[in-house]
Amino acid sequence: MSDFLASPFMHNIFSGLAQGVLYSLLALSLVIIWQSTHVLNFAQGAMAMFATYIGMTQIDRGVPYWWCVIISVVVGMAFGGLAERVLIRPLYGKPEINPIVVMVGFLGVIEALAAGIWTSTTRNIASPFSQIYFHATNGQVILLSPFVIFQVILAVAIMLGIAALFRFTKLGLQLRASALAPEVARLLGVRVGRMLTIGWILASGVGAVAAVIIASGTFGLFPTNMDGLFVAGFIAAAVGGLESPIGAITGGLLIGLAEQFILSYWSATLAPLGGIIILVIALMIRPQGIFTKTVGRRV
Amino acid sequence: MGWLQSFRSQQTTRSRIICVLALTILALAITFFLPPVADSQLAGGAAITIVILGLSWLIGWSGQISLGNSGFMAVGAYTAGIWAHHHNSTPLIFTFVFAMIMGAISGLIIAIPSTRLRGPYLAGMTLAFSAAITPLAQNFTSITGGEGGLFFNELTTPSWFLHLFSGPDATINANAQWTADLAVVVAGVMFFVMANLFHSRTGRAMRLVRDNDVAAELMGINLPLTRSLAFMIAAAFAGLGGALYSVINATVTPSTFPLTLSITLLTLMVLGGIGTLSGAVIGGIIYSFSANLVQHINSLTGVNPASNLGANMQGIIFGALLILTMMFAPTGIAGVWPPLKRLVRRRRRLVTTNSVH
Repeated sequence: MSDFLASPFMHNIFSGLAQGVLYSLLALSLVIIWQSTHVLNFAQGAMAMFATYIGMTQIDRGVPYWWCVIISVVVGMAFGGLAERVLIRPLYGKPEINPIVVMVGFLGVIEALAAGIWTSTTRNIASPFSQIYFHATNGQVILLSPFVIFQVILAVAIMLGIAALFRFTKLGLQLRASALAPEVARLLGVRVGRMLTIGWILASGVGAVAAVIIASGTFGLFPTNMDGLFVAGFIAAAVGGLESPIGAITGGLLIGLAEQFILSYWSATLAPLGGIIILVIALMIRPQGIFTKTVGRRV
Repeated sequence: MGWLQSFRSQQTTRSRIICVLALTILALAITFFLPPVADSQLAGGAAITIVILGLSWLIGWSGQISLGNSGFMAVGAYTAGIWAHHHNSTPLIFTFVFAMIMGAISGLIIAIPSTRLRGPYLAGMTLAFSAAITPLAQNFTSITGGEGGLFFNELTTPSWFLHLFSGPDATINANAQWTADLAVVVAGVMFFVMANLFHSRTGRAMRLVRDNDVAAELMGINLPLTRSLAFMIAAAFAGLGGALYSVINATVTPSTFPLTLSITLLTLMVLGGIGTLSGAVIGGIIYSFSANLVQHINSLTGVNPASNLGANMQGIIFGALLILTMMFAPTGIAGVWPPLKRLVRRRRRLVTTNSVH
């Protein structure tokens, strides 16, 4: 058994899934925003990065790790709400290019500002979990560490929490109603405007969790550290059709695995191509996304 | 004055030639009076103008958004670099044509899966492409030179041009200016091509596809073909711009065309005016002198340019400008002219009617 866990194949499965859950988290946050406001938030990763900088640099002032995590997530949520109110709300009803361009501009501002305030050098944040891999009984390495297990458990918990929120609570019902039929929801007394903001707040919280995990791991924290994650997360969301949370999570895991197998059997620098290959194949088969229901386009 | 009237109202090919020639000659004349540093900045701006022309065409006229133009630039630049590496004596114009062809091919490769996509999907897909170029360039070291990149031979300034200069820095001045003049001429030619494309049958079809694709399809326009063509043309322009850019700088590395360059390009295009020819030129000029502009803003606000914040000021300013322009003046700088012209014309008409009474 331990021989099997330490085999190269299982190495790839473990690393791929560990990376994949992060992609899934970011993809999930993109899907939540897309469902609520039909905007693809290009600044999602950068906003989360900025919130993580604000939260995690508090460690230097002696604040405990877990408090820093909470600060990061709360700041991230506040960012999301603010971005929706200030940047996106004035653009409803405008051509769909406008919000994309605005969020791309926001991405540029945040990354430059972060580099201006905290420099571009990588910071490593000490996490409370060890990053040293487990060993099998015969001394072989199993590519799992306490931190990786924490990473996967936290990500899965967040996903389940979001699913439960949407499925079982009154707020979730209102959120779904305003995404599906805003006019009807408004007539039935749902405050749709507020729901859109809450959608952004939730999504940015999820994104911030992903950024905190990335920053605490071996990757570290630097102003562009979420760029790769955003591209992979977007691809994961697009493979699923931008509307399906399950599709986004599956897409994220698939891309994580694909990248890991390319890295291990082909070349490390080419690993980012894994997602793009999957995207092209998925778009060729079903351009509207693998997990979406077919909807007629009104002429 | 009848000639001027027809020139302004009809926008015929002849009037376009005259207009572009006048603009190019003006730009060439200006290079004579600029110091060498400003000349090289202008050369870079001319290369960027070509890329923005393509982007403006793609976003403004075909309604497809692309964040991958830095990727197309890289394709053109590497084509030129790899070709120059093996065939040193190839005339520059052939290198540029190759860069355009390779750019167009890469545009087609992106367009095939993308033409069925809309808005955000397309933006993300092109972003992914532009993110994939850097690892490709880093990986195939034997062809691309890896991290170190490729080097071009310095441009040789013809001797007749050298003779125009005298003084201690004659060669430096002549070289810088020759580079700038070359870039300006290439940009002028591409400006003319794009001006004609805007008003061509394809250009009109493109606008119809953008505004109402169902109507376009009923008119017999092949949607995927038209959309792919828009991508190929934009990518060819970006490829040429990238090749020109790296020929000017005599080098191409994986970090020459980062993702942030796509954001810069988008900013310049939106600032100048989406879908306008003059907007592309304005964007190019802003790019040329953005370093000076940022320096000026740094000194105005009292930010130390050597500090961290000062070094990142350009990104902050460009991003903020992109947001503000898009929210408050989505037509950009070029969009200021038409309402102004209408205002002037209305006033003039008022004056004439008054004088009749």
